[in-house]
Amino acid sequence: MSMLSPYRVLDLTTERGLLCGQMLADLGADVIKVEPVGGSPARSIGPFYKDAPHPDRSLYWWAYNRNKRAITLDLERDAGRELLRRLVERADFLIESHNPGHLAKHNLGFADLAKINPALIYVSITPFGQDGPKASYADSDLIVMAAGGPLILAGDADRPPMRLSIPQAYLHASADAAVAALAAHHERVRSGLGQYVDVAAVQSVAMATQSNILAAALGSVEPRRMSGGVKMGPIEIPLVWPAKDGFVAMTFLFGSALGIFTAKLMHFICEQGFCDEETRDKDWIAYGEQLFSGAEPLSEFDRVKQVVRNFTRSRTKAELLELAVERGFLITPVTTVEEVVESPQFASRDYFQNVAHPELGESFRYPGPFAKFSATPIEYRRRPPTVGEHNSEIYRKELGLSEREIAEITRAGII
Amino acid sequence: MPNDLPLKDVKICDFMWVMAGPASTRILADYGATVVRIESPTRVDTARTLQPYHGNQLGPDSSGLFANCNAGKFGISLDLGNPAARAVVHDLVRWADVLTESFSPKAMRAWGFDYESLRKVNPGVIMLSSCLMGQTGPLAKVAGFGNMAAAISGFTNLTGWPDRPPSGVFGAYTDYVAPRFTAVAILAALDHRRRTGQGQYIDQSQAECAIHFLGPAILDYTVNGRVEERSGNSDAAFAPHGVYPAAGDDNWVAIVCRDDDDWRRLCAAMENDDLARDSRYASAAGRLGHRDAIDSSIAAWSRKFDRTALQFRLQSHGVPAHQVQNSADAYADPQFAHRKHFVALDHPTLGKFTVEGPRAKLSRTPAKVRRAAPSLGQDNQHVLESILGYDETQISELVASGAIG
Repeated sequence: MSMLSPYRVLDLTTERGLLCGQMLADLGADVIKVEPVGGSPARSIGPFYKDAPHPDRSLYWWAYNRNKRAITLDLERDAGRELLRRLVERADFLIESHNPGHLAKHNLGFADLAKINPALIYVSITPFGQDGPKASYADSDLIVMAAGGPLILAGDADRPPMRLSIPQAYLHASADAAVAALAAHHERVRSGLGQYVDVAAVQSVAMATQSNILAAALGSVEPRRMSGGVKMGPIEIPLVWPAKDGFVAMTFLFGSALGIFTAKLMHFICEQGFCDEETRDKDWIAYGEQLFSGAEPLSEFDRVKQVVRNFTRSRTKAELLELAVERGFLITPVTTVEEVVESPQFASRDYFQNVAHPELGESFRYPGPFAKFSATPIEYRRRPPTVGEHNSEIYRKELGLSEREIAEITRAGII
Repeated sequence: MPNDLPLKDVKICDFMWVMAGPASTRILADYGATVVRIESPTRVDTARTLQPYHGNQLGPDSSGLFANCNAGKFGISLDLGNPAARAVVHDLVRWADVLTESFSPKAMRAWGFDYESLRKVNPGVIMLSSCLMGQTGPLAKVAGFGNMAAAISGFTNLTGWPDRPPSGVFGAYTDYVAPRFTAVAILAALDHRRRTGQGQYIDQSQAECAIHFLGPAILDYTVNGRVEERSGNSDAAFAPHGVYPAAGDDNWVAIVCRDDDDWRRLCAAMENDDLARDSRYASAAGRLGHRDAIDSSIAAWSRKFDRTALQFRLQSHGVPAHQVQNSADAYADPQFAHRKHFVALDHPTLGKFTVEGPRAKLSRTPAKVRRAAPSLGQDNQHVLESILGYDETQISELVASGAIG
């Protein structure tokens, strides 16, 4: 038995909310992806298998629909809505990510469906939330990142603020939605009642400011973007450092917690002949405060950073990582996607999972279980479904429609 | 105050520290879980030393990061290396449904607090360990922070301009991703235990769960052999797609055209018939091919206008657009206000302390931030006396031993 195997989820999300259902599906829930006839718009998002657009070959689709079953259903038509209502009778969760009000207009809002199934947990994922002055704003990943705070913090000082090249906003929101759905479920076990869950991506991405979204409210200095680091007031703090063959991330910071690590690193750098003992023996715990108060001039900090840079540049990424393992330095390599997939660390944990795609006669490595559970390990039971793959199984076996009825609604374009 | 929150019956003994771990139990605390957060009396939680600071002053309780990750929890200061702490930990584990920790992999074992030992104390306990690379493997020992996990799982390299070194994603990125997976894992394991009585051990690698946020890029490599690289603000399918200057110093507006309709609306908002009529730009493929020229035209136009006015103007035409907000903008943002994103809590020593509110709205049993994050050891007496039922003699012996401090 897997963790959520008793529960059924109807996943009506567009391209925005797919990860939520996948997290629940990975945990064992029976997640049925309900798509428009012809397939979800998410199936048109690239990249594609062999770069050839095809609704069953979108790698974006593959990434976020594993372990789900899929049916098609035209919710613009009465007959389609009626079938959805029948599915809702036996569902525990419904997840959707349409624009606010869209499903309610089709009499498929929370109030409508709660009448059919009072225990239903109905989760909506939208850019700005269900109501409020921006609820109907036109959106995309970049827009939500701009509004929610992370965008302004990243990028080079002499160019515009910048996003991560792989869209992130709705992943944050989808993951928050999965947590909220299970919290509501925990309560439902006591009360027998469902409820409505409203997730706004703009709030979810604020998490990616490392609480700096609070800076103004607290009267704290706003961090400013800087290539490979961050500027706090006048102080430029590098977080990405050059190596002989690329870059590394290194935590070279100060204060009562982090100064200890910096002291340890500076001892090693001195041993290796990159600085004198006076530089080595600075008060790395108080150093940040000395910089802010001006007791330590910024020009001296620049010199220190050059010393450290000279050291990191003298070693390869692999050598620096080895030092991190052996000596506990706070260093990791800046890694390409290829290096991630081929990493011995992930291999030793059997992280990447081979998923067979019989329709293509091939298997592909997918990112593996998001955690290792000792009693109920996550299993990859199903590859991402093709368009309408489970229509027959669900409409015939589970809703009890006859072959003739299925043929009729298929001909009518309902499914 | 009665606790009618969804997780009112869930008890969590929380050894996690810094960001990724405490941010996950913060979510569970908002939903009503009783969370006892254990801190070392000597080794300060790194989060307590990091920005932003209340009143821009570094102090033991002034970190907004710590306050944000630990609101709603009880805090005790317990020296896990002290032999007298052992009984307290065991009593907490007996009390708890869930035990969480985020030390480097060897730490809990060294104290004798690994899962195999603790399940003898409470066979039904759910224990979750969260660390950068997971409990096993050649890099299990690499300890550190989310900026390091972000680098080694590919995020850092994928943030930047194609013609420059990686700019890097802001801060400890995997620490923003992992907490949701942590919380989901705990809630699912609790449901399983309710039905079966079975507890278990969960080994969470922050890098491994975060990699799901790069899923399409990972598959592009494993399926097509293509190694995706950083691409500035460009999008593979949408153009224009960028961050454009507005009037003033370092003011910006993000603008996106998702389809040809958006493009026509943008041209209308710009009142630019030449752009609208240019047949090279009529399709997404054409616009992607002339990205730079289009970006220059937009920038030449946008820099004349106030950023907020641009946002209103473009949105009123239905074009995805938003000013690029810093924390002051967000604090003044009517949508954040409508969502009650900023919650001012009473703090025992610092007056009002603002943290972020719950991100999901539950209609019938909404989450609630019940109290400000604890000062070091603030709840020692409450936890020992009311939760663990110790008497005065036991408590004073613990204090005398130095285990509680």
